[in-house]
Amino acid sequence: MSIPLLKVADLNIAFTTYGRRQHILKDVSFEIGRGERVALIGETGSGKSVTSKAILGTLPDNARIESGSIEYNGRRVLDMPGREREALKGTAFSIIMQDPLSSFNPVFRIGRHLDDVMFYADRRDGVRTSAKDRKQRIFDVLRRVQLQDPERIFDAYPSQLSGGMRQRVLIGLALLHQPQLLIADEPGTALDVTTQDEILKLINRLVDSEGLSLLMITHNLGVVRQTADRVFVMRHGEIVESGNLRQIFQTPRQPYTIDLIDAIPPLYGPKVVNQPISSNAPIITLEGAGKVYVEKPFLGRMKRHEAVKPVTLSVPEGEIFGLAGESGSGKTTIARMVMGLITPSSGTVRVGSPAQASASQRLTQIVYQNPGTSLNPKRTVTQTLAVPLSHVGLHGKAATLRMEELMTLVNLPSAYLSKYPHELSGGQKQRVAIARALAAEPKIIVLDEPTSALDVSVQKQVIALLQRLRDELGLTYFFISHDLSLMRNFCSRIAIMLKGEIIEEGRTADVFADPRHPYTRALISAIPVMSDEEEALKPTVSVEERARFLVRSTA
Amino acid sequence: MGNYYVALFARRAVGFLMVLFVLSLMIFVLARIVPGDPARMALGPSATQAQVDQLRQRMGLDEPLITQYVSYVSHAVTGDLGRSIVSDREVSADIATFLPATLELVIVTIVIIFAVAVPLGVLTARYRNSWIDNSGRFFSLIGVTIPSFLFAVTLQILAADHFPSWPTLGRVDFQLGAPAGPTGFLLVDSLLAGRPDVFLSALQHLAFPALSLAMAGIGQITRITRSAMIDHQRRDHVLTLKSFGVPDRVIVFRYLLKLSSIAPLTIMGLEFASLIGNAFVVEMVFSWGGFASYGLDAILQKDLNAVMAVVLVSGIFFIAANLVIDLIISILDPRLRFKEAR
Repeated sequence: MSIPLLKVADLNIAFTTYGRRQHILKDVSFEIGRGERVALIGETGSGKSVTSKAILGTLPDNARIESGSIEYNGRRVLDMPGREREALKGTAFSIIMQDPLSSFNPVFRIGRHLDDVMFYADRRDGVRTSAKDRKQRIFDVLRRVQLQDPERIFDAYPSQLSGGMRQRVLIGLALLHQPQLLIADEPGTALDVTTQDEILKLINRLVDSEGLSLLMITHNLGVVRQTADRVFVMRHGEIVESGNLRQIFQTPRQPYTIDLIDAIPPLYGPKVVNQPISSNAPIITLEGAGKVYVEKPFLGRMKRHEAVKPVTLSVPEGEIFGLAGESGSGKTTIARMVMGLITPSSGTVRVGSPAQASASQRLTQIVYQNPGTSLNPKRTVTQTLAVPLSHVGLHGKAATLRMEELMTLVNLPSAYLSKYPHELSGGQKQRVAIARALAAEPKIIVLDEPTSALDVSVQKQVIALLQRLRDELGLTYFFISHDLSLMRNFCSRIAIMLKGEIIEEGRTADVFADPRHPYTRALISAIPVMSDEEEALKPTVSVEERARFLVRSTA
Repeated sequence: MGNYYVALFARRAVGFLMVLFVLSLMIFVLARIVPGDPARMALGPSATQAQVDQLRQRMGLDEPLITQYVSYVSHAVTGDLGRSIVSDREVSADIATFLPATLELVIVTIVIIFAVAVPLGVLTARYRNSWIDNSGRFFSLIGVTIPSFLFAVTLQILAADHFPSWPTLGRVDFQLGAPAGPTGFLLVDSLLAGRPDVFLSALQHLAFPALSLAMAGIGQITRITRSAMIDHQRRDHVLTLKSFGVPDRVIVFRYLLKLSSIAPLTIMGLEFASLIGNAFVVEMVFSWGGFASYGLDAILQKDLNAVMAVVLVSGIFFIAANLVIDLIISILDPRLRFKEAR
């Protein structure tokens, strides 16, 4: 058998934080052959990113490789002298960084980053190159990642480019020195779904055309299906299951893998859940509600920014209404109008029955996307819950009783009341945030991407909890998300937003079965799905249509 | 992009004028409500009441406050800040004589602050929680907590004991016959006149006052540079460059330093005020004969016009220094410019 391109054998890594040693990676072994596409999947803390950093040699200072080996082309990487090891960076292994927003230094031009990387890689190879020559080579690479205007991008600062363009530049950065192995760390997850789809296609194309090997690191199984041939499932620092794609997806053996696959909401097929439509009277009514922001710079003309064009919609009591759209489409502005946090510039927003209208702030509550930032880290759960309770006049013993009740509602033990947020997991924190929203007994809860910061298995539990609460308490949800497969199963009705406008609205089942607007079709077709059957059921989009709606993200 | 700077200047100019207006009004009223008659103080206890009244009339002190203020402002905009009632000299001429000495001191102080604090900040960030960091922390703490005049006096005493030849008073060795102009900055004038001996002497004289004045700033800027560096060290963009083998020193000195110099610069702008305040005391200790000691004398003698001029000029320099810093920051950080341009 020939020597694999990369061989990781019995790798053990420990981290020491504040004198405490933690065994992060346990006997991790895998191989990647030449031209092979391999995925490492796992949830937060599974050790997949640590594995990639160990290969690249960018582990943080408090990490120690305790045993095991990494071989590249049969050479033991970990035993190499520092210089030789450095020389592998960007040439043997190259990484596509995850977050295009934070992966560039904001006060340097894009070209500066690229040129420095190329300059020092050349120098390690003992080659002296002129700035002009390097610039030409960089332009070539930028064209290869389908950036049309390399001159402009070279001179641009990171903040002048869209997320999609920055992600392309990051791919270009990885390709500067003909690497053998491309490591992609959750590429495109920080981007909108249509852009992510383009990025994944680009990576696939490049891997094929340049004969690279690919190590895809992701938590998204849909992405895995699109980009990998072989899969390693990681959990708590160990590889728990491995096999080829078909085998893992269709006949997973380990309970963890089975759960992981089960936790993914299906887009099409028999497993899809259809939420019932309610015939109750509307509890949220927007009539021509729009929001315009006006900005007057010190010099120059007044600027009008129409965040939301006049929208008319109504949500019956007890329904789960989904508002979908990509970042900047105006979803959050509408949610804020429903919350009564901002007043519409035109039209009206009515919440509750007309009699309750004045108390709208008590009627609506919100659960934010990231419980890590929406909970005050210096307050215990008790202190967090005490605030809304005191607003409804509950203090002392009565408040304590109600808190215990709320904790039971969200499936948390009462003992957690004395804990601080950092002592809780992501899912537990989100449960506390839900309990806080429930404290004042609202009728409506605005859910602003409540699960997108969570792992899929946790997402499944939180969604189940939300569903149960809706049934038990007769709540109405105004659910904001960009995760269409989740919305397919969770929302009775759905509206799609594009540039401040609702371009399609209807029963969720209808919208997915027969999307009318080309943008909806583009959006749905871009979702990474779990099986070929689902892939076949996706709406078709013509190249022109797709191009039309990608303008914003790549131009 | 050019628009951005025009807008920045325009916005600042308006703010500048408003601050000046409020400042002049405050100091004008303040100077007139504090007890003690300036005319009486100028003439001394032996003068007759008639003489005092006559001076009051000449100074316009008997007119309504509003009239006095309007007359003051209308003269001030033409550069006429009135006469000193103590020396009877033009205040603006006095300022022109004394200001360069202080400016020279303050500028050299700022240079020292950045020359010491930024490398120290980088070093303590790089070797975080090591003995280097701990010594840096100790040093910063001393700089921030001990008042500058104490440094000044200590340095003087130490020099007197161990280096008796090192100058501890004045700006320059008078025996050398320093050139008098054209900028008033001895370091500049001596070079223009081709007098390295004067330059050297001026530099020697500057060392102690500037150092005592710099200590507080060094302490503060070191800490701020350190925390900015540490904050940025963990960002993804550092990892990006590391993953592709860009050497550490390039990451630190090119990428991190530029990003991390924004916070210390902002602080420096605010620090400028306390720098001028501290200069008042340090100049006294070193008999610097600058703007600050001039101001102190004026306050003690209730020399109204001089006091107002000193406060106004300090205010102008504070605002100007901050404008310069804002410009530097907007050059360093392109995001600010684009935000405006959009």
